[in-house]
Amino acid sequence: MIAFAGRSRHPESLASLSRGTSASLRDIASQAWWALKDNWLRSVLSVLGIAVGITAVMAVGTISKGGHYLVFSELETFGLKSVWVFRDRQDKDPHRAVRMGTGIDNDDYAVIRSGCCPAVKRVSPGIHDFGKRQIIRAGNRYSNASVEGVGSEYTIINNDTLVMGRSFRFEDEERRRPVAIIGPTPHADLFGAGQNPIGKEIRIGQQKYTVVGVLKAKSRGFLASIGSAGGQDANNRILIPYTLYQQQLGKKEINWLQAEAVSQDQADIAIAQISDTLKRRHGERFSYRGETMAQYIDTANRILQGVSLIGVVAASVSLLVGGLGIMNIMSTSVLERTREIGLRKAIGARRRDILLQFLAEAVFISTIGGVLGLLAGTLASYGLALATGFPLTPSMTMVAVALIVSIGVGVLSGYYPARRAAAMRPVAALRYE
Amino acid sequence: MIDLCGVSKSYRLGEVVLAVLKGVSLHIDAGEFVAIMGSSGSGKSTLLNVIGCLDTVDEGSYRLDDIAIESASEDELAALRNRRLGFVFQSFNLIPRINALRNVELPMIYHRVAPDERQRRAYAALKNVGLEDRAAHSPAKLSGGQQQRVAIARALINAPDIIIADEPTGSLDSASGHDIMYLFAQLHQQGKTIVMVTHENEIAAYAQRVIYLRDGVVEKDERR
Ligand SMILES: Nc1ncnc2c1ncn2[C@@H]1O[C@H](COP(=O)(O)OP(=O)(O)OP(=O)(O)O)[C@@H](O)[C@H]1O
Ligand SMILES: [Mg+2]
Repeated sequence: MIAFAGRSRHPESLASLSRGTSASLRDIASQAWWALKDNWLRSVLSVLGIAVGITAVMAVGTISKGGHYLVFSELETFGLKSVWVFRDRQDKDPHRAVRMGTGIDNDDYAVIRSGCCPAVKRVSPGIHDFGKRQIIRAGNRYSNASVEGVGSEYTIINNDTLVMGRSFRFEDEERRRPVAIIGPTPHADLFGAGQNPIGKEIRIGQQKYTVVGVLKAKSRGFLASIGSAGGQDANNRILIPYTLYQQQLGKKEINWLQAEAVSQDQADIAIAQISDTLKRRHGERFSYRGETMAQYIDTANRILQGVSLIGVVAASVSLLVGGLGIMNIMSTSVLERTREIGLRKAIGARRRDILLQFLAEAVFISTIGGVLGLLAGTLASYGLALATGFPLTPSMTMVAVALIVSIGVGVLSGYYPARRAAAMRPVAALRYE
Repeated sequence: MIDLCGVSKSYRLGEVVLAVLKGVSLHIDAGEFVAIMGSSGSGKSTLLNVIGCLDTVDEGSYRLDDIAIESASEDELAALRNRRLGFVFQSFNLIPRINALRNVELPMIYHRVAPDERQRRAYAALKNVGLEDRAAHSPAKLSGGQQQRVAIARALINAPDIIIADEPTGSLDSASGHDIMYLFAQLHQQGKTIVMVTHENEIAAYAQRVIYLRDGVVEKDERR
């Protein structure tokens, strides 16, 4: 004789019946797990879709962070407090525009150097070849470096370091000493990279110079691509005292002044003070213009934002595709399991039990995809960190964003199919063939 | 216990309105074993679904004890089906990807029974239908008769007082059909109320009362 548990009970009231009859989250999760395992190939494919999207999200974060480091490490090679002042050639005033000259002379430099401008810490004149290109050689080796006549504080202002020899001293400019500091490219071109050139002689045009220092190599790949700041090759330079260069070229003028502001936010004030001094000293005959490092930082940030935006769009598109993939397989799954839904409803599943079960399946897929994408993205950023030397490992915020986004994609793409499943009428679902 | 009063139901297929139940009034007492018979399309399944709280009616009233079914919410009906009704279908309706034991456990998931208690009870229920050694088998590895016995174990797992069965032997050979009916007879002896649709006289013979439907009305109501 078979003994079945439970006898007919006293009739229960509706209120007591409807208390606590929905499935626990744990059960909903395990039901979802079985369903996904049953259709594992489909599940794996949609997991991959989301994983790609989340990897893209992580990549955007890493790339914009890496770009930031890249730009700042390059901008640093100019000295972040640097300002440049030169005559404004675009001046519309016809009286001023027709005048010849650079509007800056050695006395101006001496006055500014002597401390007339409180926002200026250091200053150096800058002179280029006035269109008279000089042949540069050492023995029978030649160089195509650009020659800059500078003051003794130039290397400090410009954040240049030397790998060999010494920097300029004040008496080098004062006494027009024939000394030169060469960059890594002319070093290699004129002497060979491994050679010690200190004390050796080079010729610039007719003038002999003794090499006293070698500049450390600078990386400006990124800046060189965005224009004026990186216009010349930072490594293909030869520095000489501006006074001797003036004598050699037969000029008494200075092309521009490069100064170091007392702080980064005093840069604009430093420009104003230098320009005012110059205007006053030249009786308002010229107008002047200045550029600051801050402007370059702005330009660089704008470019980085542009790059990030493209990345965000790409990541969104791949997440959208991943989400549509989940929506598609969930819709198929709901249709295929119509009878199962009817059965579950017949044995007591409520609307929200069914809704949560299918939502859980979608969120399962997207979360696993998210974690995989997170791992792939983290691995990639560690690789990039190793390659570039920048600290690019993902932050907690990035991890949180990736997880929240992947869960969100699951909920959004699973909601519509889940709601359709939940709204099925039990009889209709059970009749479905 | 089950009180149907003037129940009507029709389906609208485009312009045509198909009246499936036309004023059915019926009273079934607790502990009765009732078979519903009638020709195909006479409305047997529709009536059974109404009794099982799976479907609503257009007109008339249905009281289960003192609960007015037509005014109950969807969630309340789900709870009612979960606790007081056990369903057995012609096509078994087992979930193919999970084993027999987990299939039997299903109704308890919606009753918040703790997992180990659930497993214990599901195993005991399988034992009652003679399938304890098939607990880990997936439905595809079971014969029709065995699948139907798993389905019966599932229907009984929350200790309902009413069993709703739509052609439970319709997919089985005669011997397995009689095995299932033997189980039903025992349930009846234990005091369960059973309402069953069948086409076969020898299956209907297990019931104490046979209701004949014809075109949506009760044609004959025989007690034996
Ligand atoms: N959802 C529906 N939409 C439209 N018509 C329906 C629907 N459900 C049932 N019907 C129709 O209602 C009538 C009665 O159906 P029902 O399933 O109750 O018959 P039955 O007596 O159980 O028949 P069978 O013995 O073949 O199972 C049939 O004509 C059927 O086509
Ligand atoms: Mg039927």
